[in-house]
Amino acid sequence: MVYLLFMLSVMLVVGFISFSSKPSPVYGGLGLIVSGGLGCGIVVYYGGSFLGLMVFLVYLGGMLVVFGYTTAMATEEYPEAWGSNMVIMMAMIIGVLMELVVVVLLVGGFGGNYVCDFVGSIDWSIYSIEDLNLVREDYVGASSLYNYGSWMMIMAGWALFVSVFIVIEITRGR
Amino acid sequence: MNPIIFITILLTLILGTVITMISSNWLMAWMGLEINMFAIIPLIIKQHNPRSIEAATKYFLTQATASMILLLAALMNFMYSGQWTIMNFTNSMPPFLALMALTMKLGMAPFHFWVPEVTQGSHLTSAAILLTWQKLAPLSILYQIFPSINHNLLLYSGILSIILGGWGGLNQTQLRKILAYSSIAHMGWMAIIISYEPSLMLLNLIIYILMTLSSFMLLIGNSNTSTASLAIMSNKTPLTMIMLMGVLLSLGGLPPLSGFMPKWLIIQEMTKNNSIILPLIMAMLALLNLYFYMRLIYSSALTMFPSNNNMKMKWKYTNLSYSTLLPTMFTLSMLSLPLTPMMNLLL
Repeated sequence: MVYLLFMLSVMLVVGFISFSSKPSPVYGGLGLIVSGGLGCGIVVYYGGSFLGLMVFLVYLGGMLVVFGYTTAMATEEYPEAWGSNMVIMMAMIIGVLMELVVVVLLVGGFGGNYVCDFVGSIDWSIYSIEDLNLVREDYVGASSLYNYGSWMMIMAGWALFVSVFIVIEITRGR
Repeated sequence: MNPIIFITILLTLILGTVITMISSNWLMAWMGLEINMFAIIPLIIKQHNPRSIEAATKYFLTQATASMILLLAALMNFMYSGQWTIMNFTNSMPPFLALMALTMKLGMAPFHFWVPEVTQGSHLTSAAILLTWQKLAPLSILYQIFPSINHNLLLYSGILSIILGGWGGLNQTQLRKILAYSSIAHMGWMAIIISYEPSLMLLNLIIYILMTLSSFMLLIGNSNTSTASLAIMSNKTPLTMIMLMGVLLSLGGLPPLSGFMPKWLIIQEMTKNNSIILPLIMAMLALLNLYFYMRLIYSSALTMFPSNNNMKMKWKYTNLSYSTLLPTMFTLSMLSLPLTPMMNLLL
């Protein structure tokens, strides 16, 4: 049952994200209704069955009326969904801006060192004297090398993926 | 192109440049350059036609050769010094090879022939990326290794770039080729100043990127690719032509505009270093660039060529769509000369 609560919570958050990033008001109403229903489910899970049912019937009934009204008033014949160019472009721009903010925080030293905080956890496979680090030569040492260079391994994997991906994108001829 | 694929490719392009910028290891810097090169290729062939595929092939072959030479330089440096750090060279051969690879990547003088061809073959937006964003990664490496580089070679390459960038654009009628030659000339200015004052190189790069982006935005708004299409634009959007005139004069480096700022500071810095003849030659060769900018201005804003009446009715066909950033870029690329006294604080 804990998994049920977990899934309800995740879907609630996804619903909130979906209606806060709505490309057109129709889908905003849809996301609000979905997340509202899930919130009622969470209330029911915690024992407030009457409250959850009432909120689901009354509040979401009202919301459905509003949703129908919104749909009727929407002048867009083909409303934009989340996969449209504008939404993806704005998501990219905002993502890059967020990344800039994180980099500024890290460089400015406001955020502490939460990126490379995992270094101390594998001291048992690395022997270090001042500046010199030695790695064991057996499989434990090899796995610790992969652990230390995990970011580089991710980058190398991405580079290989990109090369294949771009070859396919070019040669499909569209 | 599918928008999701497009976004992935664009993010990978940014990722490659950023990896090259932030890495202190030759192998990671090389990997960033390779990712960057891979990601720009589908952007060049966004429209599948033989010309753009030819351009992408030329770009790929040149950049792959340059990357191999750069990797060779890194490996030789590792062989001599036993470390992968970018900044420490112990022998004179690896920085020589690295300089050769970077001039090839930047499209500077002895290896500049691919720039106009590739730029002409790609779409206007891809050409804008090619001439602005693609300069960042090689220049960041050059910025890190310039103390070890043979300065005479850098000066020769730079002055050759200025000569050939001014000279090659003289007979061109295609706008992308003209902007490519202007890029070669600006790269020459940056290469010359980097051994005297590297922060001026950054300033020149920023101003050059602003001016090139705003001129490309103006051209993209009307899909102009040739001087002839610029000549009949004046009865469609007269204001655009006046803006283009300003941006081109700024690219040429005329005093009240912001393109004058890097040229002024570079010449001042070089005369402070008792180098008198070289800045004189550079300033005179910049006139070659100014000549072909002036020819573009003449055909777009200062005259009206004889044409038939159908051509004059071009205004009624398509809607214009300019980029949202255009006013900002235009203002920055024309009117930032009064900020020059602040450069002491910034640089």
